Amino acid sequence: MSKGAVKQKEINKIIRAEDNWEPVGPTPMPEISDLRRWDMRLLKTYKPFYAPFCDVCCFCTYGKCDLTEDKKGACGINIAGQQGRWGLMFSLMGCSAHGAHARHLVDYLIEKYGEDYKIDLGGQVDVEAPHMRTVMGLKPETLGDLKKGIEYVERGIIHGVSATHMGQEGSDLDFESKSMHIGMLDHVAMEVADIAQTIGFKFPTSVAETPLSGLGWGSVDKDKPVVTCVGHNAAVATVMIDHLMKAGIYDQVEVTGICCTSHDNIRYSDKAKIIGPLSKQIFFLKTGIADLVMTDEQCVRCDIPELAKATGSALIATSDKISYGLDDMTHKEVDEIVRLVVEEGKQVLIRDVDKAGEVAAKVLPLVAKNRKDKKVIVTKDMAQELAQTCKTCQLCDRVCPNFLNISDALADVQKGKFDLMSAVFARCVGCGKCEQECAKEVPIIKIMQAAASWDTYNIRVGRGPIQDVEIRKVGAPIVLGTIPGIIAIVGCSNYPEEIEEVAEIAEEFAKRKYIVVLSGCAAMAAGMKKDAEGKTIYDKYKPEFDAGGVLNVGSCVANAHITGAAMKVANIFAKLPLRANYEVIADYILNRVGAVGLVWGSYSQKAFTIGTGCNRMGIPVVLGPHSAKYRRLYLSRKEEDDWTVMDGRKKELVNTEEPSPEHLMVVTESKERAMITLARLCIRKNDTAQGRQIKLNHYISLYKQHMGSLPDDLQNFVRNDKDIPIVYKKEVSEYLKTVGWKPKPLLTLPTFIGTYESNIPIDAVVK
Amino acid sequence: MSLPYYHVNVFTGIKSCKVMEDPQTLAKIAKKAQRPLLVLGPKCGEVNLGGKQLLDYGIEIAKTLGAAICATANIKKKLLEAGVTPDSTYDAVEIINHLKDSDWKGVKKEGNHDFVMFLGIRPDLGNQGLSTLKHFAGHLKTATLCKYVFPNANFSLPNLKDDKWKEYLDNMIQGLKS
Repeated sequence: MSKGAVKQKEINKIIRAEDNWEPVGPTPMPEISDLRRWDMRLLKTYKPFYAPFCDVCCFCTYGKCDLTEDKKGACGINIAGQQGRWGLMFSLMGCSAHGAHARHLVDYLIEKYGEDYKIDLGGQVDVEAPHMRTVMGLKPETLGDLKKGIEYVERGIIHGVSATHMGQEGSDLDFESKSMHIGMLDHVAMEVADIAQTIGFKFPTSVAETPLSGLGWGSVDKDKPVVTCVGHNAAVATVMIDHLMKAGIYDQVEVTGICCTSHDNIRYSDKAKIIGPLSKQIFFLKTGIADLVMTDEQCVRCDIPELAKATGSALIATSDKISYGLDDMTHKEVDEIVRLVVEEGKQVLIRDVDKAGEVAAKVLPLVAKNRKDKKVIVTKDMAQELAQTCKTCQLCDRVCPNFLNISDALADVQKGKFDLMSAVFARCVGCGKCEQECAKEVPIIKIMQAAASWDTYNIRVGRGPIQDVEIRKVGAPIVLGTIPGIIAIVGCSNYPEEIEEVAEIAEEFAKRKYIVVLSGCAAMAAGMKKDAEGKTIYDKYKPEFDAGGVLNVGSCVANAHITGAAMKVANIFAKLPLRANYEVIADYILNRVGAVGLVWGSYSQKAFTIGTGCNRMGIPVVLGPHSAKYRRLYLSRKEEDDWTVMDGRKKELVNTEEPSPEHLMVVTESKERAMITLARLCIRKNDTAQGRQIKLNHYISLYKQHMGSLPDDLQNFVRNDKDIPIVYKKEVSEYLKTVGWKPKPLLTLPTFIGTYESNIPIDAVVK
Repeated sequence: MSLPYYHVNVFTGIKSCKVMEDPQTLAKIAKKAQRPLLVLGPKCGEVNLGGKQLLDYGIEIAKTLGAAICATANIKKKLLEAGVTPDSTYDAVEIINHLKDSDWKGVKKEGNHDFVMFLGIRPDLGNQGLSTLKHFAGHLKTATLCKYVFPNANFSLPNLKDDKWKEYLDNMIQGLKS
C-alpha cells in the first residue's frame, strides 16, 4: 500500500520530521516493499541459489505436495518459491528473536527509568544509532525513541509473516526481497537492544581499550558457588550481580555464562567470566560445576531442566520465551521461592527481572553448600572405566553432524589413550546426539572432560559502538583500499573443524592489517587459542578499529555496531546523509566499503537474518559448510554476469567486467578457501590503484599459499598495470598475457543508482 | 535406497538416488556421457585407501574417462603437486551454480556437462549441492563416488567400508578402461 497523507503524517510525527539534523530522505520508515527495486537490482546480479532440504511442501492440508521436476504444489507454488518462503521464515525467526529481546529490554528499562531517559553513548559516539537514522529517519534521543524503533520492527514482522501464509506470496524473488527487508529490520532491532542495555546497564562505551576478562571453563573456580547464565539477555544477571554485591558476597562466588549473556555480563562486571560458546553448553552443564543455572532467551538448549536435574544444579528460568513447562513463581514472595528451590529442589520460572535476580543471588550460596561432591571432574582413569561398555558399533559416528570419528576415539580411551578424543572434542559442536544414540549409554560427553583442555584464556570485554573518531581516521583508507578491508567474524559455533580455526582466520587478517571485528560466540572462540608464549589474539593485537586491530564489540545484538560502522563511513567520511536514505547508503557500502562478514559456524536463524540484513546493505557474507543447510545463498557468476555500473561523476554506464564483490552470501568448504574468498570479496570497484595493489597482494599471497598458483580469476581484478602488486609484477604480467587480458575502464564513483528504475537521482551519491 | 551412513543426510522427499551396487554398471553409464565432469573436493587430499590417495583415484578416473576436472576448496594445490592442472577451480557451491544453467559453456567452454561426478566433498555440503542439481538441473545426471549413500544424487555408491570402497573404485576404473 502506498503511503497516504495520514500515514505520512504519522511517520513525520514518529521521526520528528521537523528536526533539522539532516533533511528527511526518500524512504522514512520503509514498508515491506518500499525498497523492493533496490532488492531486485541486487538479485539481478546476486541470484538466489537454492539447495532444498526436502522435495515437498507440507505447510497446508492440500499437501504434502511433490515439488520435484518443475511440479507445482496445489496452491501453485514451485520449489524455488518454497525455498524463498523458507528463507523468509528463517529471517522472521531471527528478527523476532532479536526484536523480542530488544522489546523486553526497552520495556524493562522504561519501567525503571521512564521513557525520557536519555541516550548517551559517551563523548566519542555522536552518530549513536546509524541504523535507526538510516532506516527510519529517526535520531533517537531517549528510551522512548528506542521503543519507537522496536514498534517499527514489530510492524514489519507482521507483514513478513503474513506473506508466508499459503495463498500469499509465490515468487522466489519477492520472498527474497521480503527476507532482505526483515534482515534490515533485524539490524534496527539489534541496535535498539544494544543501545538500550548499554545505557540502561551502563556498559562501557566510547572506550576502545576495554579490559580483558576470563574465558574458558578452566577459568572457573569450582570451589566457589557458581552460577551459569545461559542465553542472550543479561537483564536478570545484572540484577543478580547487584544483589550479590549488596550482600557482600560477590567476591566469594563465580558468575559465569555461556553464549551472549556472558558477553553482556562481562560488560557489566569484568569479574564475571565466559565459559565459552554455545557448542560447549552441554559439555559444561554435564560437569556439574554450575550450582545454579539461570536461563534467559535464545540459543538455550531445550533440555536444560533435564541436564540441571542430572547434576543437582538448581534451575531458574527467567524468560516467557523459554518456560520449560515449569511452575510460574512470579507472583510468590522472594523468600518463599528461595525455600522452594533450596529445600524442595524445585526448578522455577520467574518472569519478573528484579525478582528473578534477587532470588538467584539468595539461592546461589545456599544450593552450593551441599554440592561439592557433584563437581567432580572426570579424570582419565574414570573416563577409561566409563568407556569400557562401548562396543564400537559406530552409531555415534553416524549421527554426528560433524562426521567425527567418535567410536575410534572411545576405543582409544578404553586403552587409556586420549589424543583422538581430544581431537574429537576440539571439533565437537555440542549437540549430544552421540550419547542419545548410544545403546550402551556410554557417557561420551562426560568422557570428554578428561580429554578437554582446562586452560584459561583472555577475551576483550565487548566495547559496543565503534567511535566516530575512529571512523574519521580509517574512512579514507578503507574507501581508497589502503586498509584492505574490514573482516567481521561473527555468529555461532557450529564449526566444521577445530574451534581454533576462528582464531587462526582472525589472526591471519590482523597480521595482514585488515580491521578484524568480532562478536558473539565467534568472539569467544577467537580467544580460545594461545600462541607459544601463551597469548591469545586479544592479548596480542590492539583493540582499535584500525588496520591490524582486533576488537570485540560484544554479544550478537552488538553486530549492529559492526554494520553501523560501515554506515558511519558513508556518513562521517563521505558526508552522505543517513536520514531515511537507505538505498544511497547501501549502494555506497556495496560499491565502496570493503567490508565482509564471516559466519564460520552459523547454525541459528538469527545468523541467517543478520547475514541477509548485511546483504541488503551491501556487505557480502562468507559462511561455513554447515550453512549449506540454510538452503539459500546469493551468488553471481563472475564470467557470465553483467558487471555494468554507473560512473556517478560522468553519469555514464560502464561495463567494468569486474565481479566485485563477487557474491553476497556464499558457502566455502574449508578454512583456507574461506580466507581466500574473504580477501577477494574485500575488492571494490572504487579502490585506488594503490588500494587495489594492496588487496591483490593479499589475495594472491593467500591463494598461492593455499592453492599453489596464481588465482585463475586474477584477470578479472586487474584494471591496468598500476593495479599489479610490485612483488608479483613479473609473474602476474606474464600470466595476464597468457589469458589475453586487456585493460578495463576505470571509474572513480561506481554506483548501482542509475542502472535500475529508482527515485534516487544519481547526484544523491555524489558529495 | 539404503539409509545414508550419516543421518544428517537422511532422505526427506520423493526423488532419491539409485544405489549402484555394481561398479561396472556405473562405469558404463559414465562412459556414455558426452562431456563428463569430475568435481574433486578437499577430502580427496585426506583419505588414503590401502596405500593409494583418494586424489589419485580421482585423477585416474578423470584421465580414463576423459572427464574434465573441477577443483573445489583448496584441493587444487594437491592436484598441482600431483602434476595435474585442473580444468577449473571453483568452490563447491560455485561450480554447482554454473552447472544448473543448461546454457553454460562448461569448464572447457565446449558446452555444459551432461554427467557430473563428485568425490571428496564434505557429505552434508555434497548432498545439499546435489539437491540443487536435482531440482534445478534436469539437463544433467549426477553421480557420487564417495563411500556413502547420497540420496540427492542420480547415482550413488552404497555405504561401504574403506576396503570395499577401494575395491569398488578399482573395479570402476577397470570398467572405464574396458
